[in-house]
Amino acid sequence: MFTLRQCSPPSLRRAAAAAVVVAAVLAAAGHSPRTASPRFYSDDPLQREPEVADASSAAEWDIDLFYDLAYQLFVTAGKAPTNTRAGNINTVDEVPDSSWFTNRIGARPITAAELQRGPVTGPAPASDKWVLTREKSAGAAPGFTARDANGETWFVSFDAKANPRGATAAVVISTKIFWALGYNQVEYFVTEFDQDKTTIDPAATKRRPSGERTPITRDDVRELLEQVPREAGRPLRAAAGRMLPGRVIGGFRYQGTRPDDPNDVVPHEHRRELRALRVFGAWTNLTDMKAGNTLDTVVPHQGRSVVRHYLQDVGSTFGVGAQGPHDWNEGWEYIYQGSSTKRRLLTFGFGLSPWQTADYPDHPAVGRFEGASFAPETWKPRAPTLAYIEMRDDDAFWAARRVMAFSDDLIRAVVATGEIGDPAQEKYLADTLILRRDKIGRAYLPKINPIVDPVLGANGELSFGNAAVQYRFAPAPTSYTATWARFDNATGATTPIGQTTSTEPRMQAPAGLPTAPGSFIELELSARHPNHPSWERPVLVHFRRNGAGWTLVGLQRLPERQAGVTTR
Amino acid sequence: MVHPVIAQPVGPRPLPGRPRARAILGGLLALAVVAAGTAPAAAQDGASGEGETRAGTIEAQQKAKAGDLKPYAPNKAEVWVKKLEEQFLTGNMNWHPWFTSAYPGGGFTVGAGYLSHVGSYETIDVRGSYTFSNYKRIESEFVAPRLFGRRGRLSVLGGWREAPQVNFFGVGNDSAQEGLSNYGFRQPYGAALLEVRPTRGVLVTSAGAEISQWDQFAGEGSSPSVDTLYGDLNGLGAKITYLHTQATVALDSRASAEYARRGGFYGVTIHNYADRDDAYTFNQVDYEAIQHIPILRDAWVLSLRGRVQTTMREGDEQVPFFLLPGLGSGSTLRGYQNLRFRDRHSLLMQAEWRVLVNSFIDAAIFFDAGKVAARKADLDLNDLHSDVGIGFRLHGPFSTPLRIELARGSEGFNLVFGASASF
Repeated sequence: MFTLRQCSPPSLRRAAAAAVVVAAVLAAAGHSPRTASPRFYSDDPLQREPEVADASSAAEWDIDLFYDLAYQLFVTAGKAPTNTRAGNINTVDEVPDSSWFTNRIGARPITAAELQRGPVTGPAPASDKWVLTREKSAGAAPGFTARDANGETWFVSFDAKANPRGATAAVVISTKIFWALGYNQVEYFVTEFDQDKTTIDPAATKRRPSGERTPITRDDVRELLEQVPREAGRPLRAAAGRMLPGRVIGGFRYQGTRPDDPNDVVPHEHRRELRALRVFGAWTNLTDMKAGNTLDTVVPHQGRSVVRHYLQDVGSTFGVGAQGPHDWNEGWEYIYQGSSTKRRLLTFGFGLSPWQTADYPDHPAVGRFEGASFAPETWKPRAPTLAYIEMRDDDAFWAARRVMAFSDDLIRAVVATGEIGDPAQEKYLADTLILRRDKIGRAYLPKINPIVDPVLGANGELSFGNAAVQYRFAPAPTSYTATWARFDNATGATTPIGQTTSTEPRMQAPAGLPTAPGSFIELELSARHPNHPSWERPVLVHFRRNGAGWTLVGLQRLPERQAGVTTR
Repeated sequence: MVHPVIAQPVGPRPLPGRPRARAILGGLLALAVVAAGTAPAAAQDGASGEGETRAGTIEAQQKAKAGDLKPYAPNKAEVWVKKLEEQFLTGNMNWHPWFTSAYPGGGFTVGAGYLSHVGSYETIDVRGSYTFSNYKRIESEFVAPRLFGRRGRLSVLGGWREAPQVNFFGVGNDSAQEGLSNYGFRQPYGAALLEVRPTRGVLVTSAGAEISQWDQFAGEGSSPSVDTLYGDLNGLGAKITYLHTQATVALDSRASAEYARRGGFYGVTIHNYADRDDAYTFNQVDYEAIQHIPILRDAWVLSLRGRVQTTMREGDEQVPFFLLPGLGSGSTLRGYQNLRFRDRHSLLMQAEWRVLVNSFIDAAIFFDAGKVAARKADLDLNDLHSDVGIGFRLHGPFSTPLRIELARGSEGFNLVFGASASF
């Protein structure tokens, strides 16, 4: 017969012993444990992530791209989501501003002019003269690092021969889209590159297959420009990205934290803005989502150094890559995917995938980018990231609201900045973004309880929105229900007040709300809809009494750890 | 909410190998948590939580981490991968595997080479290989890949090889499988080949010369030596020194000869084998056409190949038996043994239905048909030998480092291992 002593590992026995000690102490204390800290602090909801530690010692690191790709394909892809709530959101389920992210579209109105300017703060490159200073250090697009006529350094990249204006338009448009979404971006411009007005810095070198670096020659320039499409009577078209400020210390991984950045305390896979790239990436078809397309720089900030995190290269969007059109299966499958490999092997290719039958019109500047067959929840980058795996439905809901904040007019305005020069192709790109935007909204907004923006007036009237109904992805629910309770911020205990129901997204609070300043109430807000049973899971809302009014301090759409699998 | 997240342990490291100490520390920590929980509520300013802030809790984490910063240290796997990359991708690769046998039919080959750069792009590779059937090869190759403004590629090769048991089934399309014999040869050789793409486009021209000596000896295999079964073969036992010159004109629109899903190759190569003793001088012309047709967005590729090899004698000189065009195994008639059929002329037709399994693996079903003939006029579609088979290929964007194929012809099954594309 087995005994505990015989079959349990020593560590288990020790843990059990420790638990017994703790239980005994608790019993001796004579009351139940209470939270060590209040649920809400005076500065909740936080609007900006603090960064108080000096990061000047953060050193450059080199993430090996091949290792990173292999790890994502063969390790990360096999991981199951932990369903952990995002770790960097504030108490009202929003992402505070930080060195990673700045709230823009969806948090405040963005005008077409502002969107068209995007991250740009300085002048365009003076393209009447270029001095090549080195080969391009990042990305697969053919290009150079060069100084313009004003002596400013730029990363100059070109289009693929078969896709004139494609890659250059994509990078210019995408940097503005991702800037509006909240990410730090490189300032990109469509510019010109005249080979006859280009010189080579004598110190400019290129790494050769032998490993040695030798001076860049005219033939090197010719060789690169042979791959570039030419338009009769015009200089070559290029995209120029302004060199980022600060000291470059390499990219960031989509998991873990930088061990040398003291302010980086939330594992990247639990940062909502990085999880949300699964939605934003699906919308724009950002297939090359890898550490190599990110960049960290150390910049001065309020008398100390902080690390600023960039999505440096969002040029792999839409349907064109640096070398030409995306592979047919990009956006549909990982580079290596066991399931599709098995299916095609067993059916000898006759087990078709959606990408094999999707309709791609012939638009060279747009490439393989379509909306009719697009399915947001099954979209895939070339390789998954852990943040992509960890995205939950509440992250997706948050992201989808930001995508939906791009009106048709805004989308057409941002597409125009790509200067594709062909109205039909520009229209197709904008139409496809609009179609994909709506599919994202339809997929994620009705999926969970879509109640948003609750407001409790001083007169006790509660109003809120319904994101799914707002965009007509679902008809209005048959009723809304609010369960009201007093909330003890110190202990987390609740005292019921009452329940109210309405067919409209507004209702009057029951009698008995606390009136003392600093008091809290808790609401469980749910909706009844025959087609959306998930709406009955309540959104947990907290208000704090401030003078005569109420301030929203808490909103939780899903529990900290949701049982079962969410978005896949 | 922005809650404290323990991204990584800070402060004292756990005590490795001291589980009891860990348990005690854990218990003390639990007591501390409980003690904090039983602190008077007043310490937290009642219900409002004022005095403490959310920002403060995060700042505390950041300050704690600031006291325990570490430089990034790649793990062993990353270090290993990086080293491999440096070896293979940054010009530092010196030692490399080499799987090219001395001659077709050698079987499983092991080999290695040492490649070094003698210029930014120019390389010298010294390499050797060995098979379990005792095929040996050692050679050195100089390659200048960027001549004439990146239009030309020069290869200069010198080496020595020995193949002790090369199949020979007799001459003719109806040679019997039971007629298997084998022979051996040793060959020193020196060659130069210049390939030029005048427009850097699809037009390819090449010219080359090779001087080599064929020194035959009795076969060492389990089958009889060729001289015991075939006593009157042209060139049997002869030690022939050839100056072999060749010229090619072709249109090649493939991304790479070693892996392509679209494009084609249409070329003619003229060879002259000049025997220094004027006994076995002959000419040979190879006509080859390859076309890859992608179907349904590369889900499949229909690959077609046709090849005709014809030899022409000069006067009453003969084509030695060991240089007769041959078909069998490798990338020709894959359902048959190596060099199963040999004669003055050969016809080969192949079709493959390639399946894109993923970015690294292709599968294929294929059909090969071909024949050899004594007269060019007999290269018709009668009496073709054929086979069908299935294959799997490990490939990169421009190369096929591994090809495994199982084919069945009229004489049974044949398994092919290759380190290059079939065509």
